[in-house]
Amino acid sequence: MAKILTCISIQDGKVRRSSLEVLTRCRQLAAAGGHTLEAAIVDADAAAHLDTVKAYGPQTIYTVSHPVFRRHLNTPVLAALTAVIEHARPDVVAFASTEAVKDVLGALAVRVGAAALPDVSSFELVDGGVEALRPVMAAKMLARTEARAPRVLVSVRSGSYTAEEAPAGAAVEAIPFTFDEASLRQTLREVVTAAGGAVDLSEARVVVAAGRGVKDEAGKQLVERLAGVLGAAIGASRAVVESGLFPATAQIGQTGKVVSPDLYVAVGISGAIQHVAGMQNSRVIVAINKDPDAPIFKYATYGIVGDLYKILPVLAEELERVKA
Amino acid sequence: MIKFCVCIKQVPDVSAPVHTGRMVLNAYDASAVEEALVLTERYGGEIDLVLIGPASAAETIRKALAMGADRATHLVIGDDERPDSMAVAKMLADYLANKDYDVIATGKQAQDTDAGLTGSMLAERLGLPYASNAVGLAYEAETRQLVVTRQGDAGQEIIALPMPCLVTCSNDMNDPRIPTLKGIMGAKRKPIDTREVAVPAEGLPVTKVLAFEPVPEREPGQRLEGEPEEVARLLCKKLAEEARVL
Ligand SMILES: Cc1cc2nc3c(=O)[nH]c(=O)nc-3n(C[C@H](O)[C@H](O)[C@H](O)COP(=O)(O)OP(=O)(O)OC[C@H]3O[C@@H](n4cnc5c(N)ncnc54)[C@H](O)[C@@H]3O)c2cc1C
Repeated sequence: MAKILTCISIQDGKVRRSSLEVLTRCRQLAAAGGHTLEAAIVDADAAAHLDTVKAYGPQTIYTVSHPVFRRHLNTPVLAALTAVIEHARPDVVAFASTEAVKDVLGALAVRVGAAALPDVSSFELVDGGVEALRPVMAAKMLARTEARAPRVLVSVRSGSYTAEEAPAGAAVEAIPFTFDEASLRQTLREVVTAAGGAVDLSEARVVVAAGRGVKDEAGKQLVERLAGVLGAAIGASRAVVESGLFPATAQIGQTGKVVSPDLYVAVGISGAIQHVAGMQNSRVIVAINKDPDAPIFKYATYGIVGDLYKILPVLAEELERVKA
Repeated sequence: MIKFCVCIKQVPDVSAPVHTGRMVLNAYDASAVEEALVLTERYGGEIDLVLIGPASAAETIRKALAMGADRATHLVIGDDERPDSMAVAKMLADYLANKDYDVIATGKQAQDTDAGLTGSMLAERLGLPYASNAVGLAYEAETRQLVVTRQGDAGQEIIALPMPCLVTCSNDMNDPRIPTLKGIMGAKRKPIDTREVAVPAEGLPVTKVLAFEPVPEREPGQRLEGEPEEVARLLCKKLAEEARVL
């Protein structure tokens, strides 16, 4: 019997769906194998998220609360996660693969003497460890990877599992945590938040993504209008992030976010492998591109060859009509 | 004056078909080299490189030297060895333990494994403050701090690190320069310290790739053709009735 601990990610004062997906997966593994399921919340106000997390059925929830977590710095996060792991002594620790988690996973593995399996698309508990599938080579291939170690950290790509509630009366345990901010060797000067869309990209059910085919402000407005009608989050290729038209937080791909919506609309995106690495698990993919040979059409459920400046306005209009 | 050590890796070119076996300098590491060049050109300093890899990886070292780095250390491992991040970080930490670099820079991940662990594992082993996923670097001479702009979940975080420190770089921060002919010629005379190292066999948790599997193929798609109005109507119908996503 093993002990599985899921670390919950909080962003903008809300529990991330991707960590509830991971918690659900861990609950299923715990139920199937007779393992223990626990969760940990590290946040400025961890207690505020207890009800949400309880609904997904962990037996114990550890909380670490401290004002230092209001802004992301890796030193206190590492200290808090180490404290939880040393206290709970889990065999497997699972995370959603967010930027904040990517920032600390390696250092944490060294600190707590664990093996780490980052950014997996699925994982199983096996005798003496964890086996996982990891997209590699810009998601061109899957590597079946194992970590046989007394303690394994695993981070899971968003959308790999479906979050399903199964409430249980979890016990709550606050882990004492003191942090001397004077000991911090890093200083966070500022957080520049992009005036992004209202919908969180990596958790969105519908994504409209813009590529270099979107050349100017007028094109951007067409994308925004389409996203508005669809209630979609707005994504981007690296090319239009570099051009300054879209914020870096919108970048999808090997370097950017991984998305797995029900509907992904690629507007003026060629479909370079590094971009596809972040969106190929979308359920339905629509591609609008004027080049009939663009690689994106190999992935598209529905491909439209044409000029986005002509197609987007009529598409938005038609969708408005259908949705009305 | 900033003394940089940039950790680089040779990786298969992910844009080329797998069987070509073309090897390249990891793009994220190339950005780390570029950024080190920009800062040392402005403030003075030196750039050392360190690479762990088989003997054949020397060509990748030459490429980074041709960009403008000063010298390199090649920690040579056997052709068939595949050390995981934990082992690589341990070997790098052993090599770097008693050296006094101001900034150790790595790519934020390797283009082939996309693991993204080595940088922070190395920082932890060396006890250095670090920032990952840098999309911009600046140097503050008065305070001797590296000011890192990193891409976080919700926005860009601007973090100041006292030296010595470690930073992992994204390729979103710059366009690495293409070596000039002069650079390529000059690189031939730059020193490469080549030494054999053993991949640590014990005392570390190990991860192992058991097999590579193809990504499940997508169902073949459909092309929708016609005038914009016609295509828009058809697409909406299919999204609503066939795909059921509206
Ligand atoms: C290590 C590494 C990591 C990377 N990570 C990422 C990443 O995370 N995300 C990412 O996106 N990229 C990433 N890239 C870059 C990637 O290789 C491509 O350069 C990038 O995705 C191209 O963006 P694009 O498709 O918008 O532009 P392009 O490739 O220039 O394609 C533009 C497309 O728009 C079409 N078009 C032009 N005008 C119109 C019009 N009027 N109507 C319709 N279609 C039109 C063109 O036919 C073309 O297909 C990475 C690269 C490297 C080396």
